[in-house]
Order: sequence, then structure tokens, then C-alpha cells
Amino acid sequence: MAVSAVHLESDAFLVCMNHALSTEKEEVMGLCIGEAEPARIVHIHSVIILRRSDKRKDRVEISPEQLSAASTEAERLADMTGRPMRVVGWYHSHPHITVWPSHVDVRTQAMYQMLDQCFVGLIFSCFIEDKNTKTGRVLYTCFQSVQKGSEYERVEIPIHVVPREAIGKVCLESAVELPRILCQEEQDTYRKIHSLAHLDPVTKIHNGSVFTKNLCSQMSAVSGPLLQWLEDRLEQNKQSIVELQLEKERLLRELAAP
Amino acid sequence: MAASISGYTFSSVCYHSANSNSDHEGFLLGDVRQEETVSITDAQISAAELLQVVEIHNHDPCAQLFSFYDYAGKLNEENLNSILKDRRKNVIGWYRFRRNTQQQMSFREQIIHKQLTELLGVPDLVFLLFSFISTANSSTHALEYVLFRPSRKFNQRITLSIPNLGNTSQQEYKVSSVPNTSLNYTQVIKEHGAEFFDKDGVMKDIRTIFQVYSALQDKVQAVCGEVEESERVKEKIQEDVNKLKQQIALRKHKATEEERRLREAQNTDSHPTPEENTELSEASSLSRITFPTPSAPERPITSPNPPSYTDLLSQDDSLLSSSSPPTSAALLPRPQAVGSPGHPPPGPLGMGLGLGLGLGASSKPVATPSTPYLGNGDGSSSDSLDRQAAGQEDDEEDDDEDEDSSEYENLVSEAAHLPIASGSVLTQGRPAALGPDGDARGSQTT
Repeated sequence: MAVSAVHLESDAFLVCMNHALSTEKEEVMGLCIGEAEPARIVHIHSVIILRRSDKRKDRVEISPEQLSAASTEAERLADMTGRPMRVVGWYHSHPHITVWPSHVDVRTQAMYQMLDQCFVGLIFSCFIEDKNTKTGRVLYTCFQSVQKGSEYERVEIPIHVVPREAIGKVCLESAVELPRILCQEEQDTYRKIHSLAHLDPVTKIHNGSVFTKNLCSQMSAVSGPLLQWLEDRLEQNKQSIVELQLEKERLLRELAAP
Repeated sequence: MAASISGYTFSSVCYHSANSNSDHEGFLLGDVRQEETVSITDAQISAAELLQVVEIHNHDPCAQLFSFYDYAGKLNEENLNSILKDRRKNVIGWYRFRRNTQQQMSFREQIIHKQLTELLGVPDLVFLLFSFISTANSSTHALEYVLFRPSRKFNQRITLSIPNLGNTSQQEYKVSSVPNTSLNYTQVIKEHGAEFFDKDGVMKDIRTIFQVYSALQDKVQAVCGEVEESERVKEKIQEDVNKLKQQIALRKHKATEEERRLREAQNTDSHPTPEENTELSEASSLSRITFPTPSAPERPITSPNPPSYTDLLSQDDSLLSSSSPPTSAALLPRPQAVGSPGHPPPGPLGMGLGLGLGLGASSKPVATPSTPYLGNGDGSSSDSLDRQAAGQEDDEEDDDEDEDSSEYENLVSEAAHLPIASGSVLTQGRPAALGPDGDARGSQTT
């Protein structure tokens, strides 16, 4: 197989989880940015959250514009890290459904592989609950596609999450993009509706209220918790910095001692 | 009782756990509130039900295991206070992340929980257990979570929900108005409805709510910037600390070397000491310290799969020290589920049948005393010795988890994909920790 394993940095993993857990009513998706290393290992450094143009169930296709924007982002990351970065894969979520890729997913993956045989697919399955044991579950898998006759089949690719104690700048930026993307989607939809001229005032008020309601949902379900997490993380970091500083001083003293 | 945790807090726990090469634990901060639901039945006009809702706002990760309790599970209040500080009053529970374990509280966890309940004065303290399991080829991983309320005799498990955006359906927008020929209707709604719109014909509420959203997003960006700065500062100091530790270790190593040479010089007619072994163990303890620092992205050795269990068994056990910097998760083998080369199959229950069997059947995967892997049987890192004592109770409390095996079927693609354990694997001894009749118990044919 073209890819022997995928190494996913833990801060990129964090962003994927954030994104996957943001909604249980539809599939979310994004692109993975990283590099292909020797021994056919794909190393994912960060992810980009994408807007879904077609929100039908299990239709996760990336438009050329999005791919292009992602490539630009990859170039930016390449400049920052000094390493060759590019779009190396895609991820999407399967809320309430099995983690295995559907036939559509496998076909979509096969299509991307035609452009880049190292392209990998990740799926995050969440909001699964076993009512009997009250056990919740989150799963993630990595796959590629291989042609078998006229059909495509899934190939399992080992995936490992690589520890990264500090969250990278690019991952943080990706994480805070989510509320912005959601708002943009809402605005675009509203603009189309608003441009319809023949609506009476009551209908217009209704539509305006729907927009307000949806934006409120986004703020309370996404922006709010995101802000809370950022503040908590900041607090934790401040505390860690103090503790690390003390340890550093202690070690310096130990080193200075004969 | 119901419970909720934000997706961001949940992901954060997953993130901290992924960064840890052993078990990971911490405290849950939040609120418990009462929700009253009024229902009307034929029997009575209003039946008010009080629902307790546990809201987990945040988690406070512990930097290492045994930070507030000892090997016997005895709590140290002083350490607890220094970890929690003023967050102590917000603690509503604690959590533990283990790999390849059962969804049950271990004996030590129960003891700790009881003490925490008394010490913190929270009668309904909850315990969130995360267990992580992977397929044999590591292509699929599952994180299971259960919220326990051990203080209650019945209904100990609580459903944990993750509030989210839910339905972002934009189908609620109306694309056409209901046809109405009434002139009165048109006139009234036009006249009074005008209140809602500004001079451009845009609804005022739209502008207002967008302003709220914008302000919020600006704040998110600002705090994000601060977080990013703090991450870089933390990374830098961590790097410095690691370098200093390296230097100190190097100095100690040189001193030990020097001492040894002096001693050897004094023993003129003694045989050469097993130099190589000493050097190897010291070199490996040194190389342990020169692993990539946590601040830099971990670059695991370029092997597609983590080294197999048997490979690592031959290394010395220097990795057992909890003070080692977190090594790449990819380097350390995860005690794999049934069917992987590192583990004996569950015996009569067959091989490659499902990970549930891996949990229920051979409930304590191979964990020889010399294993370098920091997570073993019940997932705790340095537990192996205690488990031999406590393990007896655990085994007795084990439920046969065969009925759970169906839950894990979706982790197994086709049975053919899982490598069939070879005969040599079958000869790997089971640790005594399984119990006096280790093998019989391990096969769990109950």
C-alpha cells in the first residue's frame, strides 16, 4: 500500500475532536495538512475545518475552491515550520453511525488517491451510546481505498496519535475558525432568502427570527464553550508556567552546586 | 440523574490522555443543579420530579499519577489541596483514563473515591472512566466513557451527554409567504411590521444579533492569541527544564563512571564487571532523557507500527520510571486486543472474534513484571505490584463481559484481518496477578 501508517499530532487530533463533537445532526469535515515522510508515513500536523456545501447525508465532497484554500494554508504552514507541507488527507465525522466508511466515502477517497496516492481518510464516529451499559463511545479510524474489480474496497491504515504537550498556533487558529464558518454559512443562507422579493413582512420577520435563533444557538453551543475552554487553558498554562519556572530555578541551583 | 460535559472539555481530556504514555487522571469541576420537571398524570394534577443535573465545566488534569494518593490508595490531603488550590470547592468528580481495560472501577479507584467523597464533602461525587482500545493493526481506536456515581447502590451509571449545535437545519427559512388576498391583512402587517425593519429594509434584530456575535468572536480571537502566547512560553520553559535535567543527568552519569573506574582500579585481580550491562542501562537511562522534548512535535521512529510487545520485553525496565518525559505514543505498544501478536488469545473463546472478548475473556492482558509498557492490565502504570494483591478482588468482581462483545464487533472489520496468534504466543506465561488459578480464570468460560 502507498501509506504504511499515519501519525496524527495530538493538537490536530484535538481540533478534529472539537469539530466532530460540535454537532450530532450532520457530518462535519475538514482537511489534513502535513507531510509524507520516509517509510511511507504520513504525518499530520494540523487540520482545516471546511464548510460543507452539500449537507445531504454522507455527501462529503470538497470543492476545488476549498482544496485551493487549503493548499494556501499548507503553504503558510510550510513557511512557518520550514518543512514541506501539503494537504495529505481529509477527515469527516459520523455522528450516531458506525465508524466504517460508507461506499460513498470509499469512492470519494479513491478519487482523491488518483491525485495523490498518499492521500488518507480519517473518520470520527461520535455520539454513540449503549443505552444498556450507559457507555458512550468515540471512535476514529484511518483508511485508504483500493480497487477490486469494478468496485473500491477499504484498506485499513494504522494511525497513531503523537503526543504534543503544547498546542500549535495553526491548530489554535483552526479551532477558532469554527464559529466563523458557521456564521458565514448562516449569513449566506439568509442572504439568499432575503433576496426573494415577494415575501410579506410577516414572513420576513419570521426569517429574520430564524437567523437570530440560529446565531444564538451557535453562540451558546460553540462560541461560548470555546471561549470557556480557551480561558481555562490559559489559566492552566499560567499555572504550569509558574511551576515550571520554579522547577527551572531549582535545577539551576542543583547544577550550580558542586 | 443526568450529566453533561462540553465537547471542548471532553476533547481536552482526550488530548491530555493522548499525550500521556500511561494512565491519566484529573478532577472534574462544575456544578450540580436541580431541575424540576412537572408532569401531569391522571392520578395527580402535578407530579414534580427533581432531576439532578451534573454539569461538567472544566477538568483539572493531574501532571502525574499518585500525585494525591499513595500506592495503598491512601489520600494525602496536603497534596490534594496544593493541586486543587481554590478550585476545590468546584470539584464535582474526578476522572481516569486507562488503556485496554474494563469499564469498571478498580479497587484502588473505589478506595480513593470514598476518601475523596469524605474529604471534599461531596456526597454524590462522580467518577468518569475513559477506556481506550484499539484494533490489532491500530487502524481503528475507540474511546469509551462511563460516568459512575458510586455512592448509590442502584443506578450507578449516569448517561453523559455532550450538548452540541444539534440541528443547524436551515430548512426553517420560509421561501414563500402563505397566499393571502385579504387587503386588511396586508395593510395591518405592513403598518405594524415596519417596526421591525430599519430604513434599508433589513431587520433590526439581524444587525443587533450580528453585533453580539462579532463581539463574541473578537473576544474568542483575543483570548486565543493569549493562549497561543502562553503555549509558546510554556514550551520554551519546558525545553529549558528538559535541557537542565539532561545536563544534571549527564553530570551524574560522569560522576558514576568516574567512581566505577576508581573502584575497578582498586580491585586489581577481580574479573571485569559486567560493564556492558551497566553501560547499557545507564546509556538507556540517558537516552531516555534525550528523547525528543515534549515541546517539539514528537517524531516517532519511522516504523509503521509500534514495536511489538515482545521486542520491548527484552529492553530494561528503565521506562517504568514515571519521571521520564512522555515518549511518543507511537513508540510504546498498546497491549493489543485479541488477535495481536503480543497477546495470548482468550483460549476456548477463539481468536480474532472481537475486542469485547479481549476485555472480558483475557481481562488482564500479558503484563510480565519486566514489561516496560506503562499501561498494563487495568491500565495503571505502576500498578502491577498492587494488582497482584488487589487483583484478587478485581477478578471476583469481574462480570463476564461476553454480552458486551457485540458492542465491539464494529471495531473488527473482518475476522480475517486480525492476525491469528501464533503458537509461540500461546506459550507466553500469564502473570500470577491473574489469580491462583490464573489460566482457568483467564479463559473465563463462566
